[in-house]
Amino acid sequence: MAAISNVTRRAVLAGTATLPFLPAHAAAAWTRDAYVEAMRKSGRPTDITENQFAAIQARKPAAMKRIESYLTARLGSADPAVMRAFEEVPREYYHYLYTEHRSESGVAYETDPKPWALGYGSALSDYLGQAYMTQVCKPKATDVTLEIGTGSGFQSSLLSRIVKRSYSIEIIEPLGRAVGKVFAPLGYENVESRVGDGYFGWPEVKDGFDIIIVTCAAQYVPPDLLKQLKPGGRMLLPIGQPFKRGQLLYVYTKDDDGKVHSRKDVGVFFIPMTGAMMNRPHSGSASEIPAGMAASPGSPAPAPTEAKPE
Amino acid sequence: MKRSSLWPLFLISAAAVGYEIALTRYFAVAKWSEYGYWVISIVMVGFALSGVTVALARGWAVRHGPALLTWLPVTLILTAAAGFRATTQNPFNPLQLQNAVTYLPQLGNIALYYAVLLPFFFLTGLYISLTFILNEGRINRVYGFDLTGAGVGAALVLGLMSLLHPFQLVPALLILIGLAALIGPRRVMVGLAALVALIASEAVLLGDGQAAYNEFKAIYAPLHVPDARQVAEVRSPRGLYALLDDFTERLDTDVSNNAALLGVVGPPQTFGLYRDGNRIAALPKPGGTAAPYAPAALDAVPYILNPGARVLLAGASGGFRVMQVLELGAGAVDALEPDPVMLAALRHGLGPSPGLAADPRVTLVSDSPLALRGSYDIVDISGDFLEAAEANAAAFTSDAMTGYVRALNPGGLVSIPVSIREFPVYAVRVLATVRDALRRAGVSDPAAHVVVYRSAWNVRILISPAPWTADGIAVIRHFADERSFDVSYYPGIDVAAARADIYNDLPPVDFTTGEVSTSQTAQDAVADEAGAVLRGEPTSSQDAFNLRPITLDRPAYYSILRLNQLPLILQRLEILPQAEVGQLVNLAVLVQALVLAALVLAVPLCVPRLFVTGARTTLVRPMLYFAALGLGFLFIEIFLIEKASLYLNDRTSAFALVLTGMLIFSGLGALMADRVRRVGVALSAGIVITWCVLVLLGLEPALLATLNLPWVVRAALVLAVMAPVSVALGLPFPLGLARVGTGAHSGSMLAWAWAVNGAFSVVATPLANLVAVQSGFDRVLVVAVFLYAIPFLAYPSIRKITSWQPSLT
Repeated sequence: MAAISNVTRRAVLAGTATLPFLPAHAAAAWTRDAYVEAMRKSGRPTDITENQFAAIQARKPAAMKRIESYLTARLGSADPAVMRAFEEVPREYYHYLYTEHRSESGVAYETDPKPWALGYGSALSDYLGQAYMTQVCKPKATDVTLEIGTGSGFQSSLLSRIVKRSYSIEIIEPLGRAVGKVFAPLGYENVESRVGDGYFGWPEVKDGFDIIIVTCAAQYVPPDLLKQLKPGGRMLLPIGQPFKRGQLLYVYTKDDDGKVHSRKDVGVFFIPMTGAMMNRPHSGSASEIPAGMAASPGSPAPAPTEAKPE
Repeated sequence: MKRSSLWPLFLISAAAVGYEIALTRYFAVAKWSEYGYWVISIVMVGFALSGVTVALARGWAVRHGPALLTWLPVTLILTAAAGFRATTQNPFNPLQLQNAVTYLPQLGNIALYYAVLLPFFFLTGLYISLTFILNEGRINRVYGFDLTGAGVGAALVLGLMSLLHPFQLVPALLILIGLAALIGPRRVMVGLAALVALIASEAVLLGDGQAAYNEFKAIYAPLHVPDARQVAEVRSPRGLYALLDDFTERLDTDVSNNAALLGVVGPPQTFGLYRDGNRIAALPKPGGTAAPYAPAALDAVPYILNPGARVLLAGASGGFRVMQVLELGAGAVDALEPDPVMLAALRHGLGPSPGLAADPRVTLVSDSPLALRGSYDIVDISGDFLEAAEANAAAFTSDAMTGYVRALNPGGLVSIPVSIREFPVYAVRVLATVRDALRRAGVSDPAAHVVVYRSAWNVRILISPAPWTADGIAVIRHFADERSFDVSYYPGIDVAAARADIYNDLPPVDFTTGEVSTSQTAQDAVADEAGAVLRGEPTSSQDAFNLRPITLDRPAYYSILRLNQLPLILQRLEILPQAEVGQLVNLAVLVQALVLAALVLAVPLCVPRLFVTGARTTLVRPMLYFAALGLGFLFIEIFLIEKASLYLNDRTSAFALVLTGMLIFSGLGALMADRVRRVGVALSAGIVITWCVLVLLGLEPALLATLNLPWVVRAALVLAVMAPVSVALGLPFPLGLARVGTGAHSGSMLAWAWAVNGAFSVVATPLANLVAVQSGFDRVLVVAVFLYAIPFLAYPSIRKITSWQPSLT
């Protein structure tokens, strides 16, 4: 309990005193006790030995290197903000099989990145794919994001470490209810989730969203979501079954006239990009997202060492 | 020795075929049908293995055969129940097979399926092969009872599908096996044991932990959103239809992303209709008959170009497409809805969903799109028509498209949809088909008669019998520009210049190198190839993909992979559309079946003393005889199912009719074998080969000419056409078995012959599928002709010998 209180207090301090443009960050040492306590508070009590916990943490640096190499190879560079978010968010906390009430944290930071079943037809995507999508979103500290399909909550948690506020809607009731409890124990107070119909977006957020991620099975994008996308905003639609690594990614933007443009980002996982796009200057246009994905100008600086989980 | 009754065999054959069909239904509903095909094809090898076992242990089998036959029904009840229960508990997730780092445990799960299902099929095969060797003097009757039992079992389980949930079919079929125990020898003791086994099995199967939908099937999520409920259910051999009321259900049509700019509201909330867990349509809620969104939909163009049109609409999309085309000003609509459940829902409503309101402008029919009854201004295929039923793929053949073009009034249009959500190459292949159709319709320059426009996810191909005019093209370009759609091809397009204004960037992917070609400007992978394909020129996709036109002879829509590039395909497995995986599953089944068939063939080589008498004849001839029969029977069956699907415009009823009819007619043929013993094989080969040749020459025109006959008449014609060949197919197997030797080795040879036939029956299905997809269904029948010449040449009487006396020399 004490560990969690400490997380919250330090996060607030970090967010308000040292990095005014950043959201609250989980900043306390990430220990086995902190993990067990956070799991308990999220309604998913579990036990794990110190050795098991240490083994998970020991795999993390290699996974971070994999992410960095992957983003650099695919997008030109790894956005420091994305890397910092991955460093902060303890992925093992999200490995949970909800239908069987069982933590699967022991497999986190796997050598061969792969999707993991969460139950209820949902999956925790592989971490390289999530890193790619997060960077393609070009999240900034001032952004407000909406995710339709909360799943494990990991994607919203990642974004919440970078952006101002992160909203998420899950349609599957038992999964959404359970995952809705995972954010607070980590001190992620800028994440808001609910169970309901994602078709209408989150209309209470009157200013709309800079980033919307929607897992869309229909033949069209819900009009209300397009309405809630700010001018210059990015809407991402991953297409394909959840265990395919080669998911397709559609990126939607609105032009100055309000007309919608889309871009099919093919083979996000392993098909190499060739041609002139890799060399062209980064224009900042969301419709050209895969081009040279260096950290966007608004990206925050890497978090101080003390803000990182250990 | 008193001859035992063959009615238990009849019942067990009925239960075994019923069990096999029930398993296919389980996989189709709970998982995906192609994986059911994988698993069941292989466990059918249990039949072949049983023959091998009896061949190897012939003496033991003869000694203990009567006792085994007495008690096997009891074990069959237990193994059937245990196998099904374990199947439903298997955590197999087919989706993980498409991921290089998650597939391995799933192969283990498939092996588990084999392990739990094989005992039932092995013991069933054992029962049948024991019956053969214990009834050497009346093999034709044994085979006749086996086949007619199987036919009746198929008919029974297909009938039960209208009454029972697919997961309850196996519990029902166990009763047949129980009856077999009751009417067999020692009926009191065995009957009592069977009753106990039956009660225990039913308790397990109908108790807790019953089969359920896989959590990754389309129906799973809607069933688990708040306040979701199922409001209607239809049980049918075509599938399990479920109507859901939940907040995710909306009309699923490709509406412009600029709907708000256009002042158009989005598609309405609906009920969701699912078949076997897959969503097939939206059905309207009470009062939901308006379609104000229609002008913003991708498929609206033909109606803007042709106001007041008389329309042939293939696929009513739950009635919504009918409402849309009326909203767009159509004058009259003939709406084709081949699925009888959907048609009934449109006419009379389903659960709380009202039917389509009566409108004098609208005619609902269940006709095939190949049977056009009049002339039209617009022939429009709905975007969901392809996925709505297997038989609907015929609407996308060159033959059908030629018919559409010929049915158009002057100034008319054909509108064909293609999904490019995963692979744009589907649009390229349909364009190749359109070119073929236009040329068959007498158009010399197809490229002047086609316009292609698209959203991010769907293409519409517009075909005009007259060359497109500048005015028509301008209307389409304006329509697209307002809605953020793109025009990918029109006569005279400058593809490079058009890239400046692309709304939906669609970069080409080189499947061979695995590279995405990128450039400074947006791209259109469909535009890059459309012109060349329509002009009949080489295109960049043709090396990696099969771009041959889709025809009635090669009707598979999802067959763009070139299987001769298998290593490359496996490298790209993770980006393949789910629908293409079926072909790879077929290959996997074929390879496994060939390995198992080779093992069965090798048995006499491994244990020659059981088979060899030292006579000069060899095992090659009986091996060829029974292998060819196993292959040939199924080649003809698969050909007939395909053609009957086309003719009846429905795969399920075609499957039911052909399977049941062929088994029963063949069983009758087997029962008549004694009467034609001397000339039976020659007669059979003569009838089969003559029939195949006649069918190759004249069946298709006859089918197309009579497509408008009532369904009952067409079904009767299917039975009439298959009857002579099926009766003939029933003759050679029992006649051959009667000749596989006399004396000490006859039992082993007989069981081995049964095993060879069974093993090659398993090879036949994937092999015929492969030949059909790669070379066409006509080629399947040509192969069957050669296969049936083999028994004729290999049959002993032709060689002036009385029977096969096998030798390895």
